[in-house]
Amino acid sequence: MRSVLLFAAALLLATPAAAADWVQAPGSSLVFAGTYQGDTFSGHFPGFQTRLRFDPADLESARLEVDIPLAGVTTGNADYDDEMRGAAFFDVGRYARARYTAEDFRALEDGRYAADGVLELRGASQPVTLTFTWDDTGQPTLTGRATVDRLAFDIGAGMWADTSVIPAEIAISTRVVFRPAP
Amino acid sequence: MSWKNSAQRWGGVSQSLHWLVVALILLQGPLGLLMVDMANSPDKIRAYALHKSIGLSILALAALRLGWRLHAGAPLPVAGTPGWQRAAAKVSHWLLYALLFAIPLSGWLFNSAAGFPLQWFGLFNLPPIAAADPGLREAALAIHRSLFWLLAAVALVHAAAAFHHHLFVGDATLARMLPRGWLRAPDSIDEESRNA
Repeated sequence: MRSVLLFAAALLLATPAAAADWVQAPGSSLVFAGTYQGDTFSGHFPGFQTRLRFDPADLESARLEVDIPLAGVTTGNADYDDEMRGAAFFDVGRYARARYTAEDFRALEDGRYAADGVLELRGASQPVTLTFTWDDTGQPTLTGRATVDRLAFDIGAGMWADTSVIPAEIAISTRVVFRPAP
Repeated sequence: MSWKNSAQRWGGVSQSLHWLVVALILLQGPLGLLMVDMANSPDKIRAYALHKSIGLSILALAALRLGWRLHAGAPLPVAGTPGWQRAAAKVSHWLLYALLFAIPLSGWLFNSAAGFPLQWFGLFNLPPIAAADPGLREAALAIHRSLFWLLAAVALVHAAAAFHHHLFVGDATLARMLPRGWLRAPDSIDEESRNA
């Protein structure tokens, strides 16, 4: 019996990747922000889901997947939301979800990390780099930022491409708390 | 031209402020009526931004006008004006002052309750004066519109009265709100010119 337990413990130790597989826990947020008429507007993507394989000692095997349903994207202002979900912007009727996938991770000099991933959004796939901090002193938490050029995804193309009205650069910030993957 | 108001005439400050506000209202009213029916577009956003900028300008000019009116006073009523007309003029003048404040402020209230930004000609932003609130938004918009139509009605009567005095009564009511010499000077102004 004792040897079986030891064997099981040895197996667990031999597969460290399993200990670094995480899924998103409640209390996470995915937020976007930009400027509009000298003011900041912001919104969030409810219902996004994150899976992460991450071990600071083994960035080679790191992998991040974020699934982002778009139907509920909201700024909290009904006037903005109707336009934003419509055909000119997210076009949620045709493109129900966005997806961010990263497999190339780097450690930065200041202790942060960068993931060079790909964002699939509104029929386009473009590179997007997520810069983040990783805190596993308590419940593991990823706190990250990225900048997305909305025009690279035709979010507000045509007449809305006028960046004097809505800038091209949209700031993304996220805070994801994790629990071990089941 | 004197900058200050005399017993007979409006001075340059009062005249400038009066006609500047007239010009802005003549832009602002039609802009407000047209912009609401525009299809959602950057042009619509620019039309609203211009409407907000002009409205804030009118509000600031109204404050200046009120301050100057309280400081510099007003000319005496034109001689020979019946008492009821003096009373009507007084009521409508103060009503117009009140509307010059109330209409921009109700627009600001609507904009705040709707959660939209407020910027003056792209130069600086002003804070909301109320929290976002759909009920307040609707009420403020209804007030904004109703007060505008009240302004249009009172301003029309005000202008009609000025033309009536100028064309049919032949007194200085309109001429004294214009630079000297712009209109055929009626008696009272001639007299003042001779005395000056």
